[in-house]
Amino acid sequence: MKWTGNLAHFPYPFKHSTYRYSNNSIPMKQPLSIEVTPSYNNEMLLKRKLLSDHPERCYQSLPHSITGQWEIVELVIDHLVSQYPKDFSVEKENTSWIFFNKILDEKVEFIFGDENSLSCEPLFFISQHVQEDLIYMRQRDDNLYLDAGQLCFPANWSLAFNIGMKFKNIHHPIPGFKEEGLDQRILQFLMRLEAGTPWERLNWSLMAGDRLDTSLETFDQWGKLRKHVTSDNAGELVHIRVEVQKLFRLPRTNSILFSIHTHLLSLEQLSTNREWLQQFYEIMSELPAHIVEYKGISAYKKAVLEYLEGQLQQLKTL
Amino acid sequence: MSMDAVFIEGKRKYIFCSDEHGLRVLSSVFEHVRKEKLAYEWYHLSTKTRPFLEDFLRKQKMGTFLYVVLPYSELHIVQTMTARIGFSSDESQFIGYGEKWISVFCCRCHELNRAEEQLTELTCIQCELKLEVSDHYSELHHAFLGYPATS
Repeated sequence: MKWTGNLAHFPYPFKHSTYRYSNNSIPMKQPLSIEVTPSYNNEMLLKRKLLSDHPERCYQSLPHSITGQWEIVELVIDHLVSQYPKDFSVEKENTSWIFFNKILDEKVEFIFGDENSLSCEPLFFISQHVQEDLIYMRQRDDNLYLDAGQLCFPANWSLAFNIGMKFKNIHHPIPGFKEEGLDQRILQFLMRLEAGTPWERLNWSLMAGDRLDTSLETFDQWGKLRKHVTSDNAGELVHIRVEVQKLFRLPRTNSILFSIHTHLLSLEQLSTNREWLQQFYEIMSELPAHIVEYKGISAYKKAVLEYLEGQLQQLKTL
Repeated sequence: MSMDAVFIEGKRKYIFCSDEHGLRVLSSVFEHVRKEKLAYEWYHLSTKTRPFLEDFLRKQKMGTFLYVVLPYSELHIVQTMTARIGFSSDESQFIGYGEKWISVFCCRCHELNRAEEQLTELTCIQCELKLEVSDHYSELHHAFLGYPATS
């Protein structure tokens, strides 16, 4: 799904001309867990189809996550109605809530805190109204556990496998993450997260194709495109995939909401910004082999560099 | 996963869950519990009693300690069940015997494939995807993640 908005609003993730794994979280200027973009309708259609066709792949929860799920419902609805009052509203009478999604022309009535008043779990319900994937991490025993999640647009990982996992174990496959002590530092950072002071970070990867749903489960469908990248088609075929990740402390359950909004931009579109083009070329040129490998770029890195070089050359001759 | 049962002090109640083989493995801990006149219960696992185990464990109160002895091939099923119920690793001991093997979680269809411990590649029995066994382990599934094989 290609970027259709103003390029100036794309969450370009780089500040320097080199890239290494780091805790690049910053305090959020506007404390919102969600964002409604011009692709809202298309992405909701896709998300709902995935949730309906592949519920096990896209939704997982452990029984003790329900209270935390209600906290997420409350937080997300508050953010939707305060930031987008024309599109979303809620009527509350004690615990009786009526939620209106005016973009999709839908009305949902439920008793807040009563699971039986919804046709699905609370996290499943609210995730059908936002573009973000929503992950619930519970803090206990001096650790964070992935206790529930709705994940339709993963960057090559499996929620069904990771459910119930501790933070460090989730990140075990990332080369260098443990060795450099990053897993411990980020875990400590997350466990100190305070209610009312949310943080955000940008994460990126490259992909061949423009699918939002790049789950590990469907790797055999989208992974093969990596072999078809050439310097001629890289501009159109290869996309930079940026995740806007937001972290909110949920005070009642002392857990964390981790929302992920995924954006895709083709290299062709990225190249229209001269500074981005130059910087991204420099980053790709010196990216360490273990990061290239983990991000799945090895098979087409050369083609991407050739494409970017070509674009830079064209700019010089203009 | 230990090979010998170890007595853990100060628990409200002790549950011994095993088949015939486990009676011998757990005998020393059991004798100690009986001698100290501590609360205990045996759950003899057989094909007849297996379906009622989850209900039995769900009814236990906080502070209960669980010993389980079973063949490796069955142990993970009970481990998954106890994790689901809410027993933590500090509240249980699992002892396996017999042929050792691992479970491999198919990244495409989520099937748990049984494999020899040293195996690095296999074909999923359900969706037939060729899998490469990784070292990414899930305590909840008691399985290693199988990625699509690159070869």
